[in-house]
Amino acid sequence: MSEMDVIEKQPVTLRVNGNVHELEIAPARTLLDVLRSELRLTGAKRSCNQGVCGACSVLRDGKPVRACISLAFAAEDSEITTIEGLADGNRLSRVQQAFVDAGAVQCGFCMPAMVIAATALLNENPNPGVEEIRHGLGGNICRCSGYVKVVDAILSLTEGSKS
Amino acid sequence: MRYLAPGSLKEALDILRREDDARCIAGGATLVAMMNADLVAVDVLVGLGRIAELSGITETDDEVRIGAMTRHAEIAASPVLTGALGVVRSAAGQIAHPAVRNMGTIGGSICHADPAADFPAALLAADATIEAASAEGTRQIPIGEFFEDYFETALREGEIVTAIRLPRGPAGARGHHVKFSRVDGDYATVSVSAVLVMAGATCSYARIALGSSGPVPIRVTAAEEALVGSPLDQAAIAEAARLLAEAADPVDDVRGTTEYRLMLIPRLLARALNTLKDGETASV
Amino acid sequence: MKIEESFTVQAPIDRVWEFITDPEQVGPCLPGCEEIEVLGPTTYKARIKVALGPIKTTFKVDVEVTEERPPEFAASVTRGEEGGKASRVSADSTLALKALDESQTEVTYASDVSVVGRLGKFGLGIMKKKAKSMGEEFAAKFRVRVEGDGARAAEASA
Repeated sequence: MSEMDVIEKQPVTLRVNGNVHELEIAPARTLLDVLRSELRLTGAKRSCNQGVCGACSVLRDGKPVRACISLAFAAEDSEITTIEGLADGNRLSRVQQAFVDAGAVQCGFCMPAMVIAATALLNENPNPGVEEIRHGLGGNICRCSGYVKVVDAILSLTEGSKS
Repeated sequence: MRYLAPGSLKEALDILRREDDARCIAGGATLVAMMNADLVAVDVLVGLGRIAELSGITETDDEVRIGAMTRHAEIAASPVLTGALGVVRSAAGQIAHPAVRNMGTIGGSICHADPAADFPAALLAADATIEAASAEGTRQIPIGEFFEDYFETALREGEIVTAIRLPRGPAGARGHHVKFSRVDGDYATVSVSAVLVMAGATCSYARIALGSSGPVPIRVTAAEEALVGSPLDQAAIAEAARLLAEAADPVDDVRGTTEYRLMLIPRLLARALNTLKDGETASV
Repeated sequence: MKIEESFTVQAPIDRVWEFITDPEQVGPCLPGCEEIEVLGPTTYKARIKVALGPIKTTFKVDVEVTEERPPEFAASVTRGEEGGKASRVSADSTLALKALDESQTEVTYASDVSVVGRLGKFGLGIMKKKAKSMGEEFAAKFRVRVEGDGARAAEASA
């Protein structure tokens, strides 16, 4: 459309990585858009914008969701955690560290969401097997097709690997 | 566009009566994707997420009631959905991926009425009743009358689906949903939902529904009759599959040609029935 | 996407030809057709409203008849847009009439339609089914118009 649309903004309160943000935004904006453009949290990626590729995954109340098909307004009553909220200062989370140690990162585009999905999977099931890991991360696409070391990284955090 | 987040069903129904072009948004997974693709424009969005009475699974002796805003992940993990209702539980666990199952709701899914979705066939096999409320009151819609066409339902303007009611089904019944998709988490190319009772080696009850095989989920009484009284041998399954395929009218698209989908029907039916016959309870 | 359908009308071939090549007669039979404007002997414009679940849109198309062999064959080219240029549509279509006997005519139409833009993201499979059901609705309305009172009313007002 060539003419400028008059965009009505509404106030919204978002809780992200432990911080409270009071914003005025157009209600059609997605959580991903607001995280990246307003809060400058660019770890979650915009790729398909259709909820298919998984690159935008964040945690909502500890569970993974697609930020690209979530409205920011619908996230008002939840606690959002992005990849930026996993590390403790300069200390990586154990999942992040395991990905680094396993050499799981190739181009890196899908990695924030892979780590988010892996974190959620391990919270729910601390000792997943290979099949469970693959299903848990089934919604995260890596176009480098570097899945093997991602699975290795997660397996390294399970009971079985420590014995 | 405006976003409204009513805290009660009554408030939501008042908004729908008051606003001309209001649209409800449940989990958002589909509607926001369509908005992103510039396929749908909305003036007023009514977010249903704050309406506590629309969420959760409750049970009585006769039925299980799933609130419309209950998410797929909760349904897939529900210990209450056993026996015949395993068909709904196993369908829920096969929808898309974990992140989408944490977003999508059963009410949102059926209102969108995508013929490739998993719940429509599963709910038809489970003989569900859809409860819908409007400012005028509440009505019960049998599942067989709910889906009318591609993306069209019997829901009227101003109505909200409040719950999906599932009868327990006959004693000893087991239910299961199988789907074939190009890759894990994709929409079904074809899906089969089945509820069975076995009396020894003989099938004494069958209720079968096909998904992704036409504008609405398909049920063929004659196909079920072909199974009842049989030991679910190859001949009986082939005859039931033939009758089901005859009633199917699948699309020809990127997920499969019409011919390919028709070929899947007997195979998926056999897979569903053999799983149930062998006494496995529906696994997710 | 290719569409090919046929239907039978209880009317002689000349009469069917006369009706089916007249935009003013065809327009009202076309499901969702809101406006049809004749621009010249072989060109016209049409505005057609289509709804598919939550997607509601309007197609604005220009039709040019490229070949006519009365009373048996016509070919046309359609070009247009949908939803404020969000998608572009084009179609190459043919129409064939065959006299089954003195009072019965078989109408066969074939169209090769392409859609580029937002609707292209949507499943073509369902669009094809939608086109088929619109075709059936058209055939039903067209029959009434040619065979029944609709025809007489149309003639009287012509």
